[in-house]
Amino acid sequence: MAQDLDDGGEVAPAEAAPMAEVAADPSPPAAVVAPAPTPEGELVKAGGTESSNPEGLSLNYEEARALLGRLEFQKGNVEVALRVFDGIDLQAAIQQFQPSLSDKTPSKKGRTKSELPSSVPQNNPASLVLEAIYLKSLSLQKLGKSTEAANQCKSVLDSVESMFQNGTPDIEQKLQETVNKSVELLPEAWKHAGSYQEALVAYRRALLSPWNLDDECQTRIQKRFAAFLLYGSIDWSPPSLAQQAEGSFVPKTNVEEAILLLMIVQRNWHQGKTHWDPSVMEHLTYALSLCGEPLVLAKQIEEVLPGLYARTERWCTLALCYSAAGQKDTALNFLRKSLNKLENPNDILALLLAAKICSKECHLASEGVEYAKRVTAHAESSNSHMKSVGLHLLGSCLGKKSKIVSSDYQRSLLQTETLKSLTESISLNRYNTELIFDMGVEYAEQRNMNAALRCAKEFIEATGGSVSKGWRLLALILSAQQRFSEAEVAIDAALDETGKLDQGSLLRVKAKLKVAQSSPMEAVEAYRALLALVQAQKNSSVSCKNATEGVDGSVTEFEIWQGLANLYSSLSYWRDAEICLQKARALKSYSAATLHAEGYMHQAQDQTKDALAAYVNAFSTELEHVPSKVAIGALLSKQGARFLPAARCFLSDALRVEPTNRMAWLYLGKVHRSDGRITDAADCFQAAVMLEESDPVESFSSLS
Amino acid sequence: MPNDAPPQPIHSAKDALAALADILGGGLPGSVAAADDPAAALLNDPDVASAVTRRLRGSGSGAGSDSLCRWLYDAFRANVPELQLAVLRFVPTLAGVYMCRAVTRKALAGFEAVLLALYAHAAAQRGAGEAETVSLPNLANPSPYHDAKVPPKAKPAELDVAVLSPPLEPHGTVRATRRARIVGAVLELYHCKIAHMPLSSKMDFCEFCVAWAGTHSKLDGTDKPRLPPSPDAAAGGGVEKWRRVPLPWELFLPSVRIVAHCLLGPSPSDELKEQAARAAECLYWRATETMEARAVLASRSLVRLSQMVEEPIPEPSFSGAIENMAELEAMRANILSTKN
Repeated sequence: MAQDLDDGGEVAPAEAAPMAEVAADPSPPAAVVAPAPTPEGELVKAGGTESSNPEGLSLNYEEARALLGRLEFQKGNVEVALRVFDGIDLQAAIQQFQPSLSDKTPSKKGRTKSELPSSVPQNNPASLVLEAIYLKSLSLQKLGKSTEAANQCKSVLDSVESMFQNGTPDIEQKLQETVNKSVELLPEAWKHAGSYQEALVAYRRALLSPWNLDDECQTRIQKRFAAFLLYGSIDWSPPSLAQQAEGSFVPKTNVEEAILLLMIVQRNWHQGKTHWDPSVMEHLTYALSLCGEPLVLAKQIEEVLPGLYARTERWCTLALCYSAAGQKDTALNFLRKSLNKLENPNDILALLLAAKICSKECHLASEGVEYAKRVTAHAESSNSHMKSVGLHLLGSCLGKKSKIVSSDYQRSLLQTETLKSLTESISLNRYNTELIFDMGVEYAEQRNMNAALRCAKEFIEATGGSVSKGWRLLALILSAQQRFSEAEVAIDAALDETGKLDQGSLLRVKAKLKVAQSSPMEAVEAYRALLALVQAQKNSSVSCKNATEGVDGSVTEFEIWQGLANLYSSLSYWRDAEICLQKARALKSYSAATLHAEGYMHQAQDQTKDALAAYVNAFSTELEHVPSKVAIGALLSKQGARFLPAARCFLSDALRVEPTNRMAWLYLGKVHRSDGRITDAADCFQAAVMLEESDPVESFSSLS
Repeated sequence: MPNDAPPQPIHSAKDALAALADILGGGLPGSVAAADDPAAALLNDPDVASAVTRRLRGSGSGAGSDSLCRWLYDAFRANVPELQLAVLRFVPTLAGVYMCRAVTRKALAGFEAVLLALYAHAAAQRGAGEAETVSLPNLANPSPYHDAKVPPKAKPAELDVAVLSPPLEPHGTVRATRRARIVGAVLELYHCKIAHMPLSSKMDFCEFCVAWAGTHSKLDGTDKPRLPPSPDAAAGGGVEKWRRVPLPWELFLPSVRIVAHCLLGPSPSDELKEQAARAAECLYWRATETMEARAVLASRSLVRLSQMVEEPIPEPSFSGAIENMAELEAMRANILSTKN
């Protein structure tokens, strides 16, 4: 910097001396204009050496160059302009003007103003020279010489700063404009020069020093600085501040600083200080989604005044935010508004999101089917990608819907449609692993185990075994085929590929596999490992809160005690079972599973009344609790002929909810037999036998 | 790392250069071999870069006995910051090839050793159990950039703390389910230093990102979806095609950040911006596949930003005519001629 100015200082006098000889050279530009008359050459020389012109001439050397350069710049002759500007000695010029300016401005402000009538502001020497340097810097920037440009620009700002050490006075408009422009140019020049540290400093200098920038200019700088921080990945250092107000927010990372600036720009817009710029919201969306703070983003979007976003666009974005935050109902409400037939009923993204939300809930499945069908109808034929996603979601929604319809006929119809949609979706995008997985689960739930197995293997192949639920699906399918040892191999392979803390759901399946193979001791061992794991998870989540939450398929302590209680009671270790149940109850007071296990214990000890009471309690806590319905049905069916209709009722109800429940079919068969309906009984028994060979150790619905 | 003893230990950039020359066989270009600053030459020299990336992409690379992986490992562990940058330069290719091949469960001990070394470095830099967090500003509190009316004695408003990257647990091996996390953390490390990386390194990443996403960009024009090759096609000779990989959030996030840098960062290269725009679009399509909301939001913003034009710096305005025009015209020739 200093060196640069020194150079400038040397150039000017050296130039002034040989002027007479050089002027005679017939160089192209000179020749075009006119041959240089000697007197004016003398004049320029005089102007260069003296600060003012006593002989009534209005321009001195520096000013003439400044004006001429500006003219050339205006014409677009950047290189010529640069040559002209090169002769200006900024340092000398500033020194000349400084006393006059600093004398006048602070003390005799009133007079200064009246002395500088608005008609001649451009002839104020300081502002003229500074503008020239600014234009020089801009020219350099345009020619790609960013470092030089930055140095020139910095010299303008340094000069202004040293001229007005006592704070910004009411400087005249032209000078203020030059200051604004230079402040804005400097960080850009450094950025283009690749000097990111200098750019960082320059941005902060622009925003933190009292330059008296106008709002638009300040906003532009804030926006560019925010983008620089957010995307630049520079070596960040905190802003150095002389003093900070108490409770003041001081950014600690580049992302924090960027978000702060973007929020300030948004607020300035609310206050009418700047015009609306859609990119600000996009930057903010990007930054806040990275941080996983969709609700903060939602708030920002809600604050935007009406009239800038199409409302459906805003609703859709809000729905994305709320859905990311897990507030599915709110998200769906926004989407319903947006997808109303009077608004934007065929917006693909909104439809997909709505279908996705609906596909997770049985009672929304029908609605989801509608949305997904609209996607497939409206996705352009060329957009096979979106069509495939639509079909995938259609399949998921149909599958969910099939679980709650009341008639068998409808169910099988829906199941067929589900598979059809999924197959069609796969034909459009056979690399979507989620799709393959869902297909596998659907096949498995429809008890088409060979096809399910194919899907599970394909999923593991496509993900390289990196997704734990793939292994679990494989193990469950194998267990449904009664291939327990192979299922265990799959689980062991998965355990190998999984970090200790994420093994929960795998160990649970393993314990259940052991139970199914009648190796209770090994099962207890597996449960013990699970307990240890849960304990470890608790400890680690204390040290780093909310890090392990929401991990795919984590196991709760309650489930473990419940599983152990079931295991012990199946072995008739009543005391151990009771202890486990107590533990479970302590963790979750009203649970259908616990009450059911209690009922089972009573029943096994021939306390029919207590057992029945416990079962009834169980399904009153959870209306769709299938095991207790089956248990009640089974108990009643043994109580004599007059209870048979009630028993049949409970069992049919259980089968409505879970048509693949083998025990329900078995007891229903017994009821039919006792009632003398032999053919019906035979059908039920056959169903029970078929299902026995396809019963997984854990429901497939535990996978999603 | 492989057990055969290294030719010579790497302690400095000079050693690294010598070792690399041995590995590449043909020797290094003279400009690099004789460079004053060997680490910078390694980082920036296009010939060395293309030779190394060619090797990394070549079939059979990344095995336990791969001497180039060994070199990367040793060079990074030499603990010379400049040399570490030169190693990080190859992270896009390394991670790209590794992720694509790991799906097929080939043995890639060489790649994994390098990645684990980088991961361990990232974890050590971060500190045990430390997450990378961001405190979200609340405009009710004043900041250096704005004033806020705070009632006297009022407590500053609570700040939300968001987790940008969860803590890095130690890993001694690459387990399949943690693979995305490990590679993701390595990409985060790369992202931290991306401002120092040469253009071709960023181009490499964008290329692999498109392959990872496995979706079709509309920028490529054709109606036909460009699907990744089926496994048997990839095996069948010719150039290896890079395939789609699972992109959980922990891998998606750093990828998006790197693409965002390429797209909107201070680099002036149009070629890079174009490639990054393509990568952003592919990531967006990939995100819509599962409709994961935050992935959709982040990548959609990038796609939209890539289509917006940055507000230009206003040109200076020249109001008012110059009064001394005649005088100036007279002086023009003089001034112009003096500078020739």
